[in-house]
Amino acid sequence: MMRGRTDRLHAEASDYFASSESPAVTRTDYYWLRLVGTGLWFLVFGLVTFVLGFLVLPVIRLLTPERARRQRRSRAVLGAGMRGFLHGVSGLRLIEFEFIGREKLGRPGQLIVANHPTLIDVCYLLGFAPTASCVVKAGHFRNLITRGAVIGAGYIPNAPTEDMIHAAEAALRAGETLLMFPEGTRTVPGKPMAMQRGAANVALRAARVLTPVHISCEPSTLSKNLPWYRIPPSRPKWTLRVGEDIDLAAYRDAPLPIASRRLHADLAGLFAGANTVRD
Amino acid sequence: MKSRQEIFDIVRRSLIELFELEEPAVVPEARFDDDLEIDSIDAVDLVDHLSRIFERRVSPRDFRSVHTVNDLIDCIDRLQTQ
Repeated sequence: MMRGRTDRLHAEASDYFASSESPAVTRTDYYWLRLVGTGLWFLVFGLVTFVLGFLVLPVIRLLTPERARRQRRSRAVLGAGMRGFLHGVSGLRLIEFEFIGREKLGRPGQLIVANHPTLIDVCYLLGFAPTASCVVKAGHFRNLITRGAVIGAGYIPNAPTEDMIHAAEAALRAGETLLMFPEGTRTVPGKPMAMQRGAANVALRAARVLTPVHISCEPSTLSKNLPWYRIPPSRPKWTLRVGEDIDLAAYRDAPLPIASRRLHADLAGLFAGANTVRD
Repeated sequence: MKSRQEIFDIVRRSLIELFELEEPAVVPEARFDDDLEIDSIDAVDLVDHLSRIFERRVSPRDFRSVHTVNDLIDCIDRLQTQ
């Protein structure tokens, strides 16, 4: 296990240095400054997450015993942190982003589904729709650094399946906004996206409205299997476009398993176009 | 209290209705994953559907050891006597 990981890192490192000797791509936009800046920001981001998870959110937990209020406050704090991070990195010209139609996010009972090309996609969505709940990797509930944050905010672990589906259903029924990444994990650039049917199932069970968000990043960066220091040759730009609401009534005539397969296929088709990221 | 045959009929009808399965495919020995292609998300839908029919809040955990249609009938039979 460990050995496999070390081998992979070695392969990545030699790959990395080999590529710097043959400058096939021109590095622009203050490449080395961006590299150092990116490292610093990751450090700051880690520290801020740690301070929020271990200090700020536990204090909120102590001061607000009522669950709904505690979640609202925790989400507001996390959202502000993510927004701050994005404004920080874009203010330092490390990245650029454009978020089209974000006023359409955050409605009661709204399920937001997005493709997942990069590590920080969630920062945009929870940063700019901070009232939303989110289905997150169950591992974040065991990780010491993220644990405080995801519990305090009342996010939903993605496993076991039955608990995830029922918790997501309950959140939507209670009028919360909910964010899900149907892919479950980041897309490997160039590979087609493998979607899980859970999002379609949850949408048909309880969503009042289903809204897709298309995320792209040019040139591709922070994708799966890439370490943070593999920054792109030019400054990356994220574009987030909120799509038209999907009419769920059209699917709800059929029994749930059949309807969710249909919706799932349509969602996969909808995102297939948006997911052509260049490697 | 329903007999095992009644339970089987309800389960078969549910499977046909929910998953558009062909009636001859739903036999007591049929395995959910291989024979009927019912995955973990389908299983949640099926359990919710059967809970409504049998008017019992069952935890999906009760179905952990269920692999075949026959296992499911055993499980429901056990639950209704509790």
